[in-house]
This record gives sequence, C-alpha cells and structure tokens, in this order.
Amino acid sequence: MKQKALYLFMLFALVLSACGGGASQPVTARIGWAGSPDTLNPGMAILIESYTIFELVYDSMYELNLDGSFTLSLAESAEVSDDGMVWTFKIRDGIEWHDGQPLTAEDIAWTYNLYKDTPEYPYLNGYYTPYFDTIVATENNEVILTLTEAIPNVESQLMFLYILPKHVWEGVDKLEYENFEMIGSGPFKMAEYVQSEFVRLTANKEHFSTPPKIDEVVFQTFSNQDALVQAIKSGQLDMITEMPNTAAASLDEDPNIELVVGAPLAPGVSDIIFNQMDPENCPTEEGGICSGHPALRDRNVRLAMSHATDKQQLIDVVLLGLGEPGLTLIPDGLGVWYNNSIEDFAFDVAKANQILDDAGYADTDGDGVREMPDGSQPLNFRLNWPSDSINAPRMAELLGEMWGQIGITLEPQAVDPDALTAQCCPAFDFDIMIWGWASDPDPSALLYVYTTDAIPYGSSETGYSNPAYDDLYNQQQVTLDFEARKDIVWEMQRIVHEDVVYIIPFYDSSVQAFRTDRFTGWITDQAKVELSGVTSLTQIEPVK
Amino acid sequence: MNRTRIILRKVAWSVFTIFFVIILNFFLFRVLPGDAARAGIRDPRLKKEAVEMLRVRFGLDKPVINCFESLNPIELGSCNVNPLDTQFFIYVRNLLQGELGVSYHTNRPVAEILSERLWNTVLLIGAGQIFSIILGMALGVFAAWKARTYLDYGAVATSLIAWSLPTFWLGIILLFWGSSNGFPLAGKATPGMSSMPLLQQWGDIARHMFLPTLTYTIVYMGEYTLIMRSSLVDVLSEDYILTAKAKGLSAFQILKDHALRNAMLPLVTVIAINLGFTVAGAIQIEAVFSWPGLGSAIFEAVERRDFPMLQGAFLLIAVAVIIANFLADLTYTWLDPRVQVE
Repeated sequence: MKQKALYLFMLFALVLSACGGGASQPVTARIGWAGSPDTLNPGMAILIESYTIFELVYDSMYELNLDGSFTLSLAESAEVSDDGMVWTFKIRDGIEWHDGQPLTAEDIAWTYNLYKDTPEYPYLNGYYTPYFDTIVATENNEVILTLTEAIPNVESQLMFLYILPKHVWEGVDKLEYENFEMIGSGPFKMAEYVQSEFVRLTANKEHFSTPPKIDEVVFQTFSNQDALVQAIKSGQLDMITEMPNTAAASLDEDPNIELVVGAPLAPGVSDIIFNQMDPENCPTEEGGICSGHPALRDRNVRLAMSHATDKQQLIDVVLLGLGEPGLTLIPDGLGVWYNNSIEDFAFDVAKANQILDDAGYADTDGDGVREMPDGSQPLNFRLNWPSDSINAPRMAELLGEMWGQIGITLEPQAVDPDALTAQCCPAFDFDIMIWGWASDPDPSALLYVYTTDAIPYGSSETGYSNPAYDDLYNQQQVTLDFEARKDIVWEMQRIVHEDVVYIIPFYDSSVQAFRTDRFTGWITDQAKVELSGVTSLTQIEPVK
Repeated sequence: MNRTRIILRKVAWSVFTIFFVIILNFFLFRVLPGDAARAGIRDPRLKKEAVEMLRVRFGLDKPVINCFESLNPIELGSCNVNPLDTQFFIYVRNLLQGELGVSYHTNRPVAEILSERLWNTVLLIGAGQIFSIILGMALGVFAAWKARTYLDYGAVATSLIAWSLPTFWLGIILLFWGSSNGFPLAGKATPGMSSMPLLQQWGDIARHMFLPTLTYTIVYMGEYTLIMRSSLVDVLSEDYILTAKAKGLSAFQILKDHALRNAMLPLVTVIAINLGFTVAGAIQIEAVFSWPGLGSAIFEAVERRDFPMLQGAFLLIAVAVIIANFLADLTYTWLDPRVQVE
C-alpha cells in the first residue's frame, strides 16, 4: 500500500512535470547559499547576504579586490587636497542606470547626502558617514566630498555606500521602501526576488568595467546545509558559498567538484573571551553586573591558559583542518594590516603549570583544581557560547581537557545568542565565552573592540582598558601616511597579544565549492576567496 | 437544545480565546531575554547610537506597559504614564486597526509576509493532509476488515513504523533519494518560471512539492491508519453490524452505510487538531526541504526577536486552531446527530 502511494505520487508529479521543458535557456549560474537577504533597502540591510546582492547590482566609488586593495570604480580619478580634507572624484561619463537614465555626479552626491542625513540607517549612517561634512556635485560631473577631519581609510569608508538612482529614491519613504525593483547600475540587474527563496539577476552586458559573460545568476536559499551539499553533488547547483566542514572532504573526492579554501572577503574571527572587567569600574549605568571570576583579571592566569591551548588540535578537530591559527582580533584576511611578526605563546603545558605555580595558584585541598592565591575560590570558570554555533560545543569540550591539565575546570553551557548578548556586554555577567566577530576591510573596526571607549558601548567584551593602546587607536584614526599607520596598527596588535586579552583559536576560512563541468573562470588564486562576488561572477563562462 | 444557541456560544468562546491570545502573545515574547534592537548582531560597526535609533523606530524605547520599563530584565518604571504611549496599548490599538506592524528583520509589513508564507504552507500541508487522509483511511478500513490476519498485522506494522519515523530523518533520506532522481531539493519554484505559461508553473511547483509532501504523507498516514483501524474494529463488533450481516448485506454496504460513519468520529478529532496546527507549518519538513512556509518564518523570527512577526504569526496560528476545532464540532453534529446535546 505504501508502495502504491509512492507510485501514485510519482505519477502525479511526472504528469505535471511533463508539461515543462522546451525553449532556449539562458546561460544561468546557479548558486546555493544557506542565507537570504534581510532587505534590499541598502540603508536598512544588516545581513551579509544583502551586501552580496548590492555588490552585484549597484556600483560604488571603490571596489575591494581579492588581494585586499581598492580600485576606483564609478570615478575615473580621485584627488585629495594636501590637508586630506577635500576629495574630488571625477565621475566617468556615459554610465547608465538599468532603466536607461544617465548616472551622474548628481546621483552620487544625492546618495551620500541621503546616507549622511538618515540616522536610522544602522551601518551606512552609523559607521560610514560620520566624517562627512558636505558633498556636492559640480557641472563637470565631479563629486566634491569634504570631510570633518582627515582620515586614512576613505576607500573602505566609501565602498559600502552603494550609489542609488536619485530619480527613483527621491519620491519614496527612505526607511520603508522595500526596493524590490532595485534599479542599479552594476554588472547585474535585479530580475526576480522572492524572499527566503531565491534572487535571480540578469547580466548588464553594457556595464562600463565588468560586463558579465553569462546571462543570469540565481542565488537559491537552502535552510539545510546537507541539502546544499547534496544539490551541488547531483548537479542542481553550480557553486555553493558555504558548507559544513564535515562535507568538505566528501566534496573534495568528487571529480567534478573543486573545493576552494581561503581567507573570506569579509574577515571573520573566532575568539575566546575573558571577562577582565574590574567591578570597581563597572559600567553600572549601562546595566553592568561585572560578575567575572577575579583570576581572569590576572595576566598570569590568561597566559598560562594560552600556553595550555593547543590551537592546532582545535583546528584539526573543530574545523577539520580548514582554518589558520589566530593571534589577535585582526585576522590574516586583512592582508597588510595583519601583524605576522608576532610570535605566539608556544603550546607548553609544563610552562603553563609553572606560571600558575609561581603566581601562587596552588591546589591546596588536593582536589585537582587550583585555588586563588588567597584560597578564596577555585579556578572554576563558567564557559558560555551561542547555541547556534556549530563549532563551539566541540571547542568547549577540547578546552575543558586542555585546561584540565593545568588545574582549571569549566562549567560549559550553550546560551541563546540573544541572551548571551545580554549577558555579555556591557553587563559583563560571565567568565569566559566563545564567540566571534565579523568585520570591515579596514582594521579600525576590530581594533576599536579593545578600547576603553568601547566598554559602555557594549562593543568591548573583555573590559580591557589600556591608555597606551587607546592613544594608539586614536592616532591610527588620523594618520594619513600608509606606512606610519601600518606601524601603529601592528604595534597595537603586539600590545594586546602580549596582554593576552583574548585567546584567538583560529581565523575561519571561507570554504566554497564549484562544479568544474559547468563553468570555467572562477577566481581561486587570490589572497581571499569569494566565488559569489563580482570578480568571479563577471568572469565565468560555460564549459565548452 | 437550540442549535443556533450552541453555535453562538461557541463563537463567543472563540472570540474570548483569541482576545486572550492577543494579550499573551505580547507578554510572552517580551519575557525572552535579549535585545530586539540588537538581535544578536555582532559587529563593531554597529554603534550604540545606531541601536538607539532602531529602538526608537520600532517603538522599543517606550515603556512596555505602565509601571514596567522592560520585562527581561524586569525594570520597574513610572506608573504615571499615558497608557496610550506604552508598547502594549500601541500594539492593541494597531491590532484593532488591522495593523500587524513592520517586521524588524525584513523591514516589510508583517501581514504581507504572513500571507505569502501562509499560502505556501497551506499548499504543502493541505496536499499532504489530503493524501494522508485518503491513504490512511483506506489502509485503516482495509486492516480493520481483515482484522487479525497477516494482512492486518502487516498494515499495522507498516503504519506504526511510518508514524514513529523521525520526520527530520525520513526527510533527509528522501532528500538523498530525490536528488539522484532529479527532484528539486529546495524552494517552491524554479527561479525564472514566473514568465512561463501557468500550466508549466504548476508543474514546476508540483515537482518541488513532491518530496516534502511525500514525507508528510508517510508520517501522517501511519497515524490515521491506526486510528481508523482501531475505531472501525470496535464498531464492527457491534450487534447492529451482525444484524446487517444477517440481513445479507454485502461487505461494501456494511462498511459504507453502517460502520464507517460511526467509526469516523475519533479520526475527525485528530484531523481537526492536525489541520489547526497545519498553519504552524511542519517546521521540520520545511527546514529539510527549504520550503518557504510559515514554520520557517517563525523560526527566523524567534532567532531575531522579531516581535511584530512573532505576534502576527502566533495570532494566525491561534485563530486557525480555534477555527479548525470549531469546524470539527460542527462536523460531529453532522456525523452523529446525538452530539447535538450539550
């Protein structure tokens, strides 16, 4: 009977599907991902999937390359005044919007003013435009941007400010506009968008710098990563932007699939967070509770834990080898900004035990757990992580074993991510957390997390406060000379590494895969990996 | 008792229940820990001022209700504020005006999202229910008629296994099987189909529906078979069935005219309950097959503390369950006239 039911279903499905087929098909690249854009309104978007679509449909002043450098996009030249305050961009002539209207300096100036004057836009206003003073368009198709202070990272400040068509956006509610039509000027045009299902884009073959070679690209949402992997194996997808690390090995064996592993375009970092907030400086007005274990405020304890952490084992077991050992919050994916001269604390359990012995943390009652030097409490720490993390549970287990060898015990517990945010900062109601950050191509965003200023803001998760570091942070914000700024940024990383503010177990790699029998031309030889970015999608062409 | 009065009374109770759900929905989600304006976003680029602006935009800067600034953590506030300027009464007022609000996560009207998702869910679960009811009933009747034979044992064993299969696991197995047989693994339609003739679009949707519907049917068919069988076996042992047999009626006539109608009652109850929860979507099936239904929408909304979306979705579910139960009550009176009495 069950069999019959099955055949009945198949018959039903086959009859209906038989009606399909025919007609010449456009060349379509089918991409699978586990997410979906939250909104197509660039001002309101938060999720990275939205930015992936913006990148393809819109243009911006600068394009971020896979080697970490920037190139001018909409402008053919950029000039800066000697004091670094006034930037003049000469916009290319003859650029058109997808609806055929001309794109001019007027649109750009209007867009920048929109972002600058809309405080409800969480990122574009909150982070990218605070240095804007005035933006005007001239008759020569130039945009003149005047800053409130000279900053060294204008490129990364401008790259996410996607240029919108004034003639469309002028008449709409800038907050509630859903932007489903999404008129842009980029290498792809919005064709069809069904939220939480798919985004279909068609090629803009007239694009001024990177016209795509294919006709269409489709991003299909999968709520289940196993299905994502199965879909590329069975040929229903041509590329997948993510996968569980456990699936990577099996995909690697498939002769028609190539696995690509490298630093992600948007840098990501996993961190082990120590609550070092001193209750005396607790930000109580912002909801501070500051219940952290006092031992974690002692560098010796953190240093010992660092020596007792076998990062390579964490990478091998948790990431199945697909990651790089970490140093500070600035990941290797940030290229030149990453201080590769820092020598990490060696994995050395004996040394770790020695450090704790010397600092007076002895196991006085013989239960295998060390106590505080004054004997008040054992080195038993709460360890929390967001319950949606795939890696954290395995990591917690390994950390328990590693730190157990130096007389430290853990109380591991997964916590709902929102509840963890509430516990984290600025409440400081935890001992140790496993979490991570996403960030900007510019190091400033992640360096900020270590500053004293970030404590009441809820961005600092450790409560670390070092005036010397804060000074350097402010300096690098206004140092226009590239080499000089790089030196400061490197020095800052050295300081926080020396102070063992965090243990950074690893930098996550981006793990993507594509079918070799469908398209060629995927960009895989660069410092960063982003197959769903403009660089790859405008280059690929069907396998002949 | 007067039939109209009974119905009226039931309607009144239903309205009262919905009203209660409206109140509960509001407080239920605000007791959750976390900050809806931040929604677990971890990015140093999200500044405090920006979060504050989001809070103002969503109205989260206002007190939850008189005397309470927030419910988790509990923060007492002034009791002497205009109630109409608290989150609760703004919510009630909007609801009375038919406004479900704007989703924090997607920046779209909740009503719009719900209607999109509801249709998808009804399509999937509706088809699954219809197939599982037909097949489950047929198999149940067959098993009951052949009671205590190997055919019966076989049918019961099959149903028990089908019913106890973990939905998620069965879905994954069928997904693997389907991927090698050319069935689409995600979504409701192939991108780009919307410009095709209607018949082709339907064919495409049917292909997408095949695997999830099959999963749903297998799981629910088992349940319906077991209930139908046990209820029918009971009825078949009644004296009036014996009488019918003695009168020389055929097996088909006995089943159709004498046994089935009485045996249907328990099944109708279960179907009604299942139908009500249909609206909540089969979250697991939607997750395996990336079906854009209500279940997955609710799941996303919980993750993001998307209050308007959660309130809207739960209200919808509550209304659906209440209506389904109401209809079940009506069906009883039609199936069994004795049920009319209080």
